[in-house]
Amino acid sequence: MNYQPTKGILLGLLALTLWNCKTSDPEPTPYESGVLILNQGNFSQNNGTISFLPRTGTAVATSIFQTANPSMSISGSLQGYTDVNGKGLILVDNSTAGQDKVEIVESATFKSRATLKTPDIENPRQVISAGPNKAYISCWDVSGDFNAGTFYKDPGYIAVVDLNTNAVVKKIPAVKGVEKMVVAGTEVFVGSGTYTGSKTLLIIDLNTDTEKQRIDFGSTPEPIAVDATGKLWIQAGNDLVQIDPASRIVAKRITFAAAPGSVVISTDKRAFYYTLSGKTYRLPIEATAAPGSQILARSFSALGIDPQTKRIYGSVIPSYAQAGYVLRYEETGALVDSVRAEIAPFGFYFR
Amino acid sequence: MHILFRKIVGKKALYWWLLMPFVGLFTAYNGYGQTDSSVVSLSAVTIRAIAPERFLAGQKLQRIDSATLLQFRFGSLTDLLALNTPMAFKNYGPGQLATVAFRGTSASHTAVLWNGININQPNLGLTDFSTLPIAGFDRLAVQYGSSASVVGSDAVGGSILLGSSPVWQPGIQVTIGQQLASFRNNNTQVGVRYSTGLGQSWKLSGKTFAYRNQFNNAYPYTERRNYFMERSTTAQRGLVQDLYFIHKSGRQLSVNAWLTDNDLVLAPQDPIARERTRTQSARFLTTYETNHLTLRLGWIHDILDYGKGDFSSPDHTETDRFISRAEREFSLIPQKANVSLNLRVGGEWSHYQTRTDGYGDQLIQEDRGDLYALLRLQTSRWLVSANIRQAFVTRFNPPITPSLGAEYRLVQHTKFALTAKGAISRSYRVPTLNERYWIELGDPNLLPEDGFNLEAGLASTVVLNEHFTLTSDLTAYRNRVDNWTYWNPTTNYHVENLQLVVARGGELTMNLTYARSSWRAGVRAGYALTRSSQERAYDTYSQDVIGKQLVYVPLHTETFNAYVQRGQTRLTVQTQANSRRYITFDNSQFFKGSTLTNVLLETTTKIGPVPVRLQGQVNNVFDALTFSVKRNALPGRNWALNLLINLPNNTQ
Repeated sequence: MNYQPTKGILLGLLALTLWNCKTSDPEPTPYESGVLILNQGNFSQNNGTISFLPRTGTAVATSIFQTANPSMSISGSLQGYTDVNGKGLILVDNSTAGQDKVEIVESATFKSRATLKTPDIENPRQVISAGPNKAYISCWDVSGDFNAGTFYKDPGYIAVVDLNTNAVVKKIPAVKGVEKMVVAGTEVFVGSGTYTGSKTLLIIDLNTDTEKQRIDFGSTPEPIAVDATGKLWIQAGNDLVQIDPASRIVAKRITFAAAPGSVVISTDKRAFYYTLSGKTYRLPIEATAAPGSQILARSFSALGIDPQTKRIYGSVIPSYAQAGYVLRYEETGALVDSVRAEIAPFGFYFR
Repeated sequence: MHILFRKIVGKKALYWWLLMPFVGLFTAYNGYGQTDSSVVSLSAVTIRAIAPERFLAGQKLQRIDSATLLQFRFGSLTDLLALNTPMAFKNYGPGQLATVAFRGTSASHTAVLWNGININQPNLGLTDFSTLPIAGFDRLAVQYGSSASVVGSDAVGGSILLGSSPVWQPGIQVTIGQQLASFRNNNTQVGVRYSTGLGQSWKLSGKTFAYRNQFNNAYPYTERRNYFMERSTTAQRGLVQDLYFIHKSGRQLSVNAWLTDNDLVLAPQDPIARERTRTQSARFLTTYETNHLTLRLGWIHDILDYGKGDFSSPDHTETDRFISRAEREFSLIPQKANVSLNLRVGGEWSHYQTRTDGYGDQLIQEDRGDLYALLRLQTSRWLVSANIRQAFVTRFNPPITPSLGAEYRLVQHTKFALTAKGAISRSYRVPTLNERYWIELGDPNLLPEDGFNLEAGLASTVVLNEHFTLTSDLTAYRNRVDNWTYWNPTTNYHVENLQLVVARGGELTMNLTYARSSWRAGVRAGYALTRSSQERAYDTYSQDVIGKQLVYVPLHTETFNAYVQRGQTRLTVQTQANSRRYITFDNSQFFKGSTLTNVLLETTTKIGPVPVRLQGQVNNVFDALTFSVKRNALPGRNWALNLLINLPNNTQ
């Protein structure tokens, strides 16, 4: 009589072991390939999110960070996202000082790996890959009162993140209101936001993580991208400026009627898309004058170009209190579809 | 998962408390009696009811008993109302801005009256409940539903009635109170009440009371379950001065003053990013009353300062209101035992002046007038009120607001009483000064909001046996507000009369009390269903908002209070639960539902001749994770110890 239950338990254990072996499949990677929609959220509500949109179909997965990490939340405005060697860095700006952070996740699953916090991270603005396991994050540093002129701490800094140890290993003093960064060769060209009044273009050496040069740019430089010919493009107010990154010499300058919005480079890096006065344009890099050709008779809060499909993504923000939309167009300007995203979609990340 | 788990634990505790009074825990015998106020020995009190308590027949009025007020003596109005009414609060954090949503309306749709006058901050048109500690007043009642005909502007969802009460027992009584709480928070109160005869014909009763409340919020943790704790400090100070002179003929002159100073600093650790919001109010009121006539003069001075980093030159808002009111009451039929018919007519005139950076720093002045007539009929079975009010506001035309309400006693036995109630009323709201005068975003030509409220209900009292009494109250309402003003986020927050909001729902409250010998027990349970939605399309994307529940208004709220008491010692469990709260207009994001439970143990003993009241409490017993509007974690389990000493009356 006593033997039977023991046997039953043993059989049960065996079955459990087999079942355990069976379930040790690799973890599903739902976000490996597709489009991340970066939703800023409403600043004071700290409700930024990332949605995932597959290339085919309109089924949007919302709040994927919280889905992957149910006990966590982004808890802030979303400021930026970039993959570095299979890891994703999510920049989070909270409305309360001392609560900004960077969430580091496995990029294919969005499972949390680590969180970088204050004082390493204060007002993060943009993140770029700066090497095999290295990221640069531009940070304004602690911000004060705009009216009193203490909003931008001078200078801001670039946090150098080692993704092997998930730690900020260095802060490189940068420029006031440091923002956009573009890698050209072994150098990073660093600019600011237009409200800062800073006119300095900063150049950082990627190998040593040190400042290499400061150039007075005449107006606030916002580096955009390196084109197919290896030239660097920088927005400066109403102008787009093409420079040779090696010699630092300006190749040409194209002036627009107003400041072009959401300037993004095409898949082949031979043209730019941008919005101006309620319309969307395409400007080849060979152009010598604005505005190029009109692609769409409307503008968007943000543009994105999918490098795989060459489709144009545009976001609409009805308000910061309800979900926005993402519209997809073929390269020709033909509408593909429209999907509902989350609060204030302001950027795309394609992979 | 955590929240769900806590909820289950919370519910289990709840059931246990619900059962307790029934399982024969108490064996001693005594006749039944009213129990709620037994903790305090109430002195002789003369209450002259203000109009909202008398002329809103058919509408729900909830008086907060003195035992509850005493339990929250060191607390804020937010906590008391959240745990005892279905009001939902939009809370920015401990010691920070807290605004109310009452019956599915917005923060500016609840009138807060102090001794009968509206003290909502007129620039914002609302009250920050975190700035009003319970210690600042003696009486508290909640008036449900629109009462514009009696109260005036803002009373769309309901009204909160705060008041002072004189104590006529001769002598001097000194009160000293101290609270020590978690996170190095503390609260000190010192007061004196005095009453004496003044010659043959006059008597004086007075109260001088001061409090200070320091929230250091020194949390021993920077995060709770991956959510940040926000660093902030709040320093609160207040002074209450009441003086009542009563003549033996019944004539009374009273002076009431309430000064409050609330100083909130966010991120105090950071000299660049820190933010300070300082709210100071001085409220003065003089009332002269005879048996038929009431004259009031009031002055309210509100200051609001906001600074960031350097606090020396903040954004400044300063508003004054000068208020005068005259009311005369007539008995329309000769005094009879069972029937009375009273007419109260009144007029009010107020002068407003405000200066703020947001209005371009110019002095803005306006006058507001009100004329009203309130009629009240009472018979042995009927209570009927019919009221009408017309308000006049400079550059603005509020609608005429009538109301009609009735209560009828269906059953009137010694062991069972049942009353049916119903009311119909129109309401309005004068747009706030910000809504009309804020540069660019405001609109001086806004239309008045136009509300129409219907409600009906039943109230019953059942004496189950000599120990148990059950009172219950069931109300259903529908409140439709058109031309709802809206800081439209689609147009960069310009104010517009865009929306049509319909709020409908109901409230059920049940109160079971038990008394036997020196034992007392009670259970008070409340449930409210609140469905409130925007119903009009006004642009392409408003389609996503139509029919959606208003933000921060939970569909379901429950409150549950249970206590057992023996002699002067009482153990109380307070629970508040709410369903999810949407945070975006399209309901795409929400905070999960949550349950908060507090446990209180209080006793009164005498140390020598000095009665000492000691109360220990554990808040958020189950360590539930709840969030502020800013998505920061609110504190976990925490405690407080309250000590209240009443130095003996020197004439006894």
